[in-house]
Amino acid sequence: MAGDPEIAAAFVRRFQSRVFGVAIGVVGDAQLAEDIAQQTFEQAYRHAQVYDPRRGSVRTWLSAIAHNQAIDALRAHKATPVAPADLEDMVETVTDTPERYALTAEAAVELRRAVAALPRDQARAVVMAGIYGMTAQQVADFEKVPLGTAKTRIRAATGKLRASLATRQVDHD
Amino acid sequence: MTDDRGLSCAQLQEISAEIALGVLPADEQAAAMAHLERCPACGARVHELALTADALLELVPDSEPPTGFEGRVLERLGSTPARRATHRERWRRVALATAAAAAGLALGGGGWVLGSLSGRPVLAAPITSPAQPHVLTAQLTGGGHPMGQAFAYTGTSPWMYLSVDADGHSGTVQCRLQRADGSTVVLGAFTLDGDGYGHWGGPYPAGAAPVTGVRLLAANGSPLATATFVASQALPEHRQQPAVW
Repeated sequence: MAGDPEIAAAFVRRFQSRVFGVAIGVVGDAQLAEDIAQQTFEQAYRHAQVYDPRRGSVRTWLSAIAHNQAIDALRAHKATPVAPADLEDMVETVTDTPERYALTAEAAVELRRAVAALPRDQARAVVMAGIYGMTAQQVADFEKVPLGTAKTRIRAATGKLRASLATRQVDHD
Repeated sequence: MTDDRGLSCAQLQEISAEIALGVLPADEQAAAMAHLERCPACGARVHELALTADALLELVPDSEPPTGFEGRVLERLGSTPARRATHRERWRRVALATAAAAAGLALGGGGWVLGSLSGRPVLAAPITSPAQPHVLTAQLTGGGHPMGQAFAYTGTSPWMYLSVDADGHSGTVQCRLQRADGSTVVLGAFTLDGDGYGHWGGPYPAGAAPVTGVRLLAANGSPLATATFVASQALPEHRQQPAVW
């Protein structure tokens, strides 16, 4: 095993674009995203024992930490988790044509197609909940629909995406 | 099934996506977790949905951070040589976890775990897929008490990882690997802190005989804890290239 400075530097270098990507994708502000990304590596360092190989790769683990940090930051900094225009941009991003992501894992390509195939209101709901951390009530308020409708959209969308991945093993980094 | 608070499987499934996405309101979480602790079937479903939630995050594109980010992170973690030395073991753990991920680990067993990295629950569900055949796990025990966990990866570039929580013990301990042919090999030594906590990980030499267990010895050579891997799981190691991140 290499010495500490080399391991730490290599580890950060290996995953920094993933961690920063999740952070800026959720909060949209570069300065806040950097702070979140730094916190993510600090959390990973402090809580390495929490890493659970059953949940996926280190990349997935770090993404989850960055996501949690970003959601917390959103809740602390913004009254509304996402602006309508930013939501539209994110829905476009996650349903964009796979050709733009030539190096993306096959499972992610498949999931991208599955999100694109969702009814638009379901795609918006799963992006709001799954990426921006919005509760069903927040989704309902944002979309001006009853709470039950928002819950149904989240549940239906997530179930369809799960089915699209059911026969595929999620890529492990 | 229905738990004491009356949450049925059907009711749990209504909110399973919200649980998996981490957006279930706090006032609903307790009842949901109580049900999940009692119901493996619902737990497995939420686990699958949680993997879907993880995969969804993969659709958010990577983005290069601003120039100098790496240095600022290392500075934040403590970049002076003296401080870095104290962090070596933790980074070893992270690095080992990375190697584990590269090897595509899937550890079996375990129940629901509710941890928290930053205020929101992190769910670790029971495994629903077969465990990775090259991974051995066993509990470390000493004097009849649980003292931690041992993991051995017997596939490409074999390695061992120990997580020790041995109340009442501190100082240097030695880790010794045991094989089915009776041979043993010292893997290394590491330190338990004042609370008896410590961890160690690293590669071990490939051998013809399967790994059967691991022993922890105190500085004076007395046995501290042992872990015995399930014999039917034991496999000879492959002699291949080291895993990469």
